[in-house]
Amino acid sequence: MTTPVTNIKFASHADRLLEPVWAEITAITPEAEGISTYWLKFVDPAAQAAYSFLPGQFNMVYLPGFGEAAISVSSDSEDRSLVGHTIRFVGNVTRAVSRLKVGDVVGIRGPFGAAWPMQEIEGRDVIIAAGGIGLAPLRPPIYYIMNHRERFGKVYLLYGARTPSDLLYPNEYKKWEQAGIQVQITVDRADENWQGQVGVVPMLFYRFRMNPESVVLTCGPEIMIRFVVYEGLARRIPAENIYVSLERNMKCGQGSCGHCQLGPYFICKDGPVFRFDTLESFFNVEEF
Amino acid sequence: MDSLEELKDELRKIPWFRELTPQHLDKIARIAHLQQVKAGEVLFREGDKEENVYIVLEGRIALDMFVPPRGKVRFYTAEAWEVVGWSSVTPTVRQRTAGASAVTDGLLAAIDAEKLRQACEEDHDLGYLTMRRLANIVASRLMVTRLQLLDIFAEPEEKHVK
Amino acid sequence: MSSEHRPEIGSTVAIQKSAFNALLNNLKEQGYEAIGPHVKNETLVYEPITALEDLPRGYVTEQEAGHFRLIYLGHSRYFDVIPGAQSWKQFLFPSRKELFSLTKNDGGWKMEEGEKGTPAYAFIGVRGCELAAIQIQDNIFLRSDFNDPIYRARRERAFILSVNCLHPAGTCFCVSMGTGPRVNSGYDLNLTELEDVFLLTIGSESGRGALTGVPLEAANGFVLNAANRALEHSASQMGRKMDTSDLPELILNHLDDPYWRSIGERCLSCANCTQVCPTCFCWDTLDTLSLDGNETRRTRVWDSCFNPGYSYQAGGNTRPTIHSRYRQWLSHKLGNWKQQFGTLGCVGCGRCITWCPAAIDITAEVVALREETSR
Repeated sequence: MTTPVTNIKFASHADRLLEPVWAEITAITPEAEGISTYWLKFVDPAAQAAYSFLPGQFNMVYLPGFGEAAISVSSDSEDRSLVGHTIRFVGNVTRAVSRLKVGDVVGIRGPFGAAWPMQEIEGRDVIIAAGGIGLAPLRPPIYYIMNHRERFGKVYLLYGARTPSDLLYPNEYKKWEQAGIQVQITVDRADENWQGQVGVVPMLFYRFRMNPESVVLTCGPEIMIRFVVYEGLARRIPAENIYVSLERNMKCGQGSCGHCQLGPYFICKDGPVFRFDTLESFFNVEEF
Repeated sequence: MDSLEELKDELRKIPWFRELTPQHLDKIARIAHLQQVKAGEVLFREGDKEENVYIVLEGRIALDMFVPPRGKVRFYTAEAWEVVGWSSVTPTVRQRTAGASAVTDGLLAAIDAEKLRQACEEDHDLGYLTMRRLANIVASRLMVTRLQLLDIFAEPEEKHVK
Repeated sequence: MSSEHRPEIGSTVAIQKSAFNALLNNLKEQGYEAIGPHVKNETLVYEPITALEDLPRGYVTEQEAGHFRLIYLGHSRYFDVIPGAQSWKQFLFPSRKELFSLTKNDGGWKMEEGEKGTPAYAFIGVRGCELAAIQIQDNIFLRSDFNDPIYRARRERAFILSVNCLHPAGTCFCVSMGTGPRVNSGYDLNLTELEDVFLLTIGSESGRGALTGVPLEAANGFVLNAANRALEHSASQMGRKMDTSDLPELILNHLDDPYWRSIGERCLSCANCTQVCPTCFCWDTLDTLSLDGNETRRTRVWDSCFNPGYSYQAGGNTRPTIHSRYRQWLSHKLGNWKQQFGTLGCVGCGRCITWCPAAIDITAEVVALREETSR
């Protein structure tokens, strides 16, 4: 998986280490309890024109005085007008972001990371298995598939969250269905009004017949990823056709500070998207 | 109304039933019937005596338990080809441990549990196939239950030093 | 030999020890700040030096697992003492560096660079293991996909006067790691200290330039042989050794082995090893905010994989136990480093052994792991 050639100004050869490029919040979309999408436009129009990302990549979002958070880009990679970041408010930096308003400015470094292999998987059936906030880095591949639907076979979205109010982007599911993506939604716990499925994302693998030539793209809590991989392998999908997006705390985003290391990989640089066979030898080692 | 042949046609749609010999299929068809349900209809309640084991053919069946003071909590939904009420096939459990109701209109294949247990006793080949299938069902339900129990989407406690 | 004759790159010359200060003066005039070993507070540090006399002449160090003593023996050699806890890492990759500060300005932020200007260091007395460590850090900080402007600026300006190591200490194992005691390349000048003279091998144009006007003598066969014999003898005197033939597989194939817990019981997770190690490179960013919220600074500081908060996910700390963090350090240093950067991460300097308060010795741990896993 290769990272695209980016405008040097944004990241790896900055004159000053960790120097951000400023972007303004143009809109905020509340998505679920404690999660909103921030739509950013670079303050410098030349920066906005130069910036691009591939599905699965992330930016380091910088709030002066608070620090940075690694946030996947969750908007359409082929729409260059705005850059969307779906952010869950869970730490110091993201909670500070939750207090920002339209018009406020944040710093951006990026895009970083290895992307979902959209070209490599053309012609195949695609199973997108997402849990919770894990749907955010998988939304760009969904948009890509919609933009080029004829290049892919059957496409399934298997998505689950803790409760119905935690589901991301519910207003888009119908659009996705209309674009020829079979959407299956489940929740761990139902509320009184929920008429949909109750159970976990790996369970959704039991609900349809999949072709072993399919490709699986998955992101979510690591235990969910483990069981999704398990279900994929059980259905004879080889590890080389399963792609996972992992998460660790990231500081530099550039494979330098060491924090995000998992075995030989820097998750920020060699990942966050990995082909599962490259992780197999140590993925299940406890506390590694 | 359904005839035995129509029932067998429906049963043959279920993937597991295709592994059965024509004799086994016949044995089961004779102790089964088709049942239609309407959205909202209660199939059975917690504490009911067990009568049938159900296989969903069309629609969605929700499983729930009554948890005071939360009320009825829906913890699982069964889709097409899934089994509801599998514990009635095991020798020991004698009453429903959960309730089942239809979320949507649906069609079920209902098999008399007592007669199925008897048939398995008399014909150990059928018994083995049934129990093997049951073991798979229980394994997958256990996996789902464990993942729900672990509450993997819950907010973490911030234990780390920083 | 005339002092106008400029020696070729690759050749070796001799200078009287008294001429060394002329070399240091050249470096000073060329704008370098010379840094060298210096006795301070009963230990050895790397600090600015101005003359040969600033060096720890007459000293040796006694080093063992968890043990360091600086001892004055009174011998006549300047470069003969194995270094203390400090390495050259702190100059190319400073332990604390302000990156920039931002001041609130009209709805936005105005950026000021941290410290302007880059020092030009002349490192005097870099051992083979230390030079190998610098080269390993070059692979980390200077890459085609990313390079660190702070490291790059300092590294480009740095002058390296390396030293062939003739008297290794108790925790040294550079021979096992292929990094010494002879320095083979990567220097501007390479020095061998004999009783009466310094031999200097010229490694670069900068090295030649530093010798301008310094009275040079031919290095005859006798002194060159003496140097070679001394190096051979030095190679046989290593305090430790490590068999690397089955690394990294020995560690990477046994990540689940219960052996790691036994180290976990001894290790204090104090992070000394990562601080003294000349190749460890992990760092963190500190963001501070002034009380009125109008000014913020970003500072880069060293970090360590032994720190409890070093690695976490949305579920919490990924390595909450000491043994898992020790395993991370060792499986990185002697394991996954190879896949990341092409070599093992250890240069055999022995600092982690000397400075571990629990006296954990990685050469012994590798042997123990080998024995445990071969049962």
